[in-house]
Amino acid sequence: MSSLQRVAELARKARMLFSRRERFDHDLEEEMRLHRDLRAEEIHDSGATEPDSHAAAQRRFGNTLQLQEEIRRAWGWAWLDHLSQDLRYAVRVLRKSPGFTSIAVVTLALGIGANTAMFSLINSVLLRPLPYSDPDQIVSVFERNLARGIPANGCSYVDLLEIRRSETFAAVAGVQNHQLTLTGAGDPTVVETVVVTPEIFSILNVRPLAGRYLYAEDNTPGAAPAVVLSEGLWRGRFGADNTLVGHSIHLDQQAYTVVGIMPAGFRTPEAGPKQEVWIAAAKDPLFSAWMPSPGGHWLRLVAKLKSAGPLGPTQSRLDALSTQLIKQSPAQRTGWSLRVAPLQEVMVGEIRTPLLVLLGAVGLVLLLACVNIANLLLARATSRSREVALRQACGAGRGRIIRQFLTESALLGLLGAVIGVALAYSSIHALGLLLPANIAAQRPVELDVWVLGFALLISMAASIGFGLAPAVLTSRTDVQSNLKHGSAQSGSDRGSLRLRGLLTRAEIALAMVIVVAAGLLVRSLLKMTSVDPGYIAEHVIRADVSLPRYQYKTPQQWAAFSDALMERIQAQRGLEDSAVAVPPPMYGQVNLAFVIAGAAPLPPGAVQSANYVSVTPKYFGVMGIPLLRGRVFNPEDSASSPRVAIISATLARRYFKDENPVGKEVVFGFPPDTNITREVVGVVGDVRDVALTQDPGPMLYVPFAQAPFWGDVLVIKSSLPTGTIVAGIRQAVDAIDKNLPITEVEKLPDALETSIAQPKFRTWLLAAFGAVALLLAAAGVYGVVSYSVASRTKEFGVRATLGASPASIRKMVLREGVGLAGIGLAVGLAAALAVTQLLKSQLFGVPAYDPITFLLSAAILVAVALLACYLPARRAMRVDPMVALRYE
Amino acid sequence: MPRDEIPPGTLYMLILRVLSRNGELHGYEIAKAIETLSEDVLQVEEGSLYPALQRMLIKGWVKAVWGVTSGNRRARYYRLTAAGRKQLEQEISQFERVMGAVTRVIQTA
Repeated sequence: MSSLQRVAELARKARMLFSRRERFDHDLEEEMRLHRDLRAEEIHDSGATEPDSHAAAQRRFGNTLQLQEEIRRAWGWAWLDHLSQDLRYAVRVLRKSPGFTSIAVVTLALGIGANTAMFSLINSVLLRPLPYSDPDQIVSVFERNLARGIPANGCSYVDLLEIRRSETFAAVAGVQNHQLTLTGAGDPTVVETVVVTPEIFSILNVRPLAGRYLYAEDNTPGAAPAVVLSEGLWRGRFGADNTLVGHSIHLDQQAYTVVGIMPAGFRTPEAGPKQEVWIAAAKDPLFSAWMPSPGGHWLRLVAKLKSAGPLGPTQSRLDALSTQLIKQSPAQRTGWSLRVAPLQEVMVGEIRTPLLVLLGAVGLVLLLACVNIANLLLARATSRSREVALRQACGAGRGRIIRQFLTESALLGLLGAVIGVALAYSSIHALGLLLPANIAAQRPVELDVWVLGFALLISMAASIGFGLAPAVLTSRTDVQSNLKHGSAQSGSDRGSLRLRGLLTRAEIALAMVIVVAAGLLVRSLLKMTSVDPGYIAEHVIRADVSLPRYQYKTPQQWAAFSDALMERIQAQRGLEDSAVAVPPPMYGQVNLAFVIAGAAPLPPGAVQSANYVSVTPKYFGVMGIPLLRGRVFNPEDSASSPRVAIISATLARRYFKDENPVGKEVVFGFPPDTNITREVVGVVGDVRDVALTQDPGPMLYVPFAQAPFWGDVLVIKSSLPTGTIVAGIRQAVDAIDKNLPITEVEKLPDALETSIAQPKFRTWLLAAFGAVALLLAAAGVYGVVSYSVASRTKEFGVRATLGASPASIRKMVLREGVGLAGIGLAVGLAAALAVTQLLKSQLFGVPAYDPITFLLSAAILVAVALLACYLPARRAMRVDPMVALRYE
Repeated sequence: MPRDEIPPGTLYMLILRVLSRNGELHGYEIAKAIETLSEDVLQVEEGSLYPALQRMLIKGWVKAVWGVTSGNRRARYYRLTAAGRKQLEQEISQFERVMGAVTRVIQTA
């Protein structure tokens, strides 16, 4: 038969199926009735009585129902009829045992829901492309300095120009963000400003909501200042004024013409979660001055590849360029090399592993759920073997019976999927907390077609997973013996019990893996929360007062403001313990190179660097950072006195070895004053300034009066309520300048808490999965042991009669449970050892093979297994020998 | 006179043949025609006519239209299609080949 004919046949079948299905049966009936009637007429004419002739016609015609069935099969509808039969039957079966059905559905719904939710996160963050055109061509370019242990840092504008000149990319642009003060539109307010080179807009290629975006001409020193607003700012601050484009707004008291408005979802990559205005770098009050300097690492570069493909060749060209740049300006560039990475990877790098770990964990939980349901189904299948035997006796084939069982599983799976998706939908908002703010802002987590498809896929895979073994096992029963004996002693029983034992061991092994993983993370978290940050955060409040640079232009002004502010704040009752620190711990770091005066010159390429903080005298006292040697700063360390510095214990240990550093000189400074010689006057304790999870590095402190910044970050130790403290700061600031905003007020303990909020949330989530896994494993053990106890009632009766004490019987049952757990534990232990290697990057202060965690997890599982055996064991103990022996 | 069941596999050929002689027939007429043509030697197992007819519909050898019998009852009438006519030729030549071979085997025995 040609394929064309085959297609025509299919088309005829399909047409019939969809258009005339209901009429079809009716027509067939009528056609056959006519035949029988005509035949009966003929027989009647030859002399038979009417009833006789009808019976004879029927006999000659054959079995009408069977013929109709045959015709339906010919049209290919048999499967449809069987399916609807199977479905109806499955619904009936499941409704008849609501207990089993609801346990199975709830278990599945939890498993599928958790998986769907995790997948929706991964889908939106890792799988869905970035919301720009040609997302696979957009890359991030950064500089790293392995000698200084800096894996990724920004570039200078000079670097950007060199990269552009090398024509490595189709386009390259730079971004940076900071805050400017918007005036003239209501109260003065701080707006989150993205400073860009305008090529970023053509690279990302997102259409403005109104007007235009910035062009290259806007980034020349002579251009008229132009600004692009976010839709949010335009609506919130300017009441969605349609005539705004073309008018000017004032940022740091400079007029910028609004040239366009970007849609709400638009974000420039690597420029923070909140973005309100975009201006060209050449027009920025701060960064425009930095543009000519070849050093500096203030621009994050986003580039577009000429064509999508592997990054190897691009990296080679950047390597060559790096070498060339070092030759041009060795002082600034030595040790730095340009790197390229897909933007997607850079943006989601940190969250990738945790998400995959969690997905792996929920995958294991679903697997456990499936094993558990398979276990339940096996138990049921044993008791349903008589029903199966009856159906086989009536002519049902083995395939048909397997199909029936699988239909039931699929129905359970579908119910689980529906509830699971609903659960996932309701938890999506909470799960968004798993994402860092900058990712969450741009990648909304949604249930899209892919997520729903995933849910359907795993539910069907799960249905087959848990349904197949019971179906096959049950269909293999021996009709004869089943019909005779009923359920308890059927041939499949022993096989089924063996399989269930196996499944239970697998459950224990799976649970072991999850419990160990959760245990490791919990222990990491405990370590994290108990780590000593090097300072005392209790009762310390942090607040930001930023100075508009149009008003406060010189370091002298900055220092004067800080002096005045400190004086006014410290004069208030309860606020005596206050200081300025830029930057305080966990507030971003300034890393500077330094040299020790009089020391042997460093080998070429080697750099000494330390994190740099400018502080007022009381800082160490406020923060409880211990003084180890020498003295702390005092008010005499002023702009006119000799330059001094304080170093941290690590710096002293690492670079001064056994010598006393006090009295020695170090040379360093914040740009542009990089070569200032300072005398070390003291050594203070180490501080975890980057993150709680990062070991303290060398640090350099300088007096704020000798190295002021254009803004003050206040740290105040006070037992007053936060509101009172903020009011005190407000009052002090207002006395100096009424137009200064106070922002980012935070209690230091809260800031510490926030810094580990994400790992904490992930850990508790995984711990919850671990608890579910334990529960499922316990249910599995309980099911198998209690079944085995029930089927051995007679044996226990005999034992009891022969003098076995209840205690010894209990021990026997418990031993069975522990036996189940033992092998599972061994397998689980091996699996966990392999799996936890993947967790390494997520652990803090705990090795991946942490023996304590492994031992504790094993102990918990054994305890759970024993607990699960306890009830069946008690039942076995109480078997009445008489009843047991009479039974059957 | 005892009546023989038709040899398996020949039912399609018989139906096609009957339809090619008589044009449009309904099921009962087809059964009768096969009996008549074979002078009552061959008897169709009557019910099996209908699955066969449906399979032929699927294969596109016959077409069915609803009409009215002489007794004024609704009946489905079957008619050959071009594909059905071609199939008939093929079936006949194949049948003759097989029968010829069988006959030779019997005669040489």
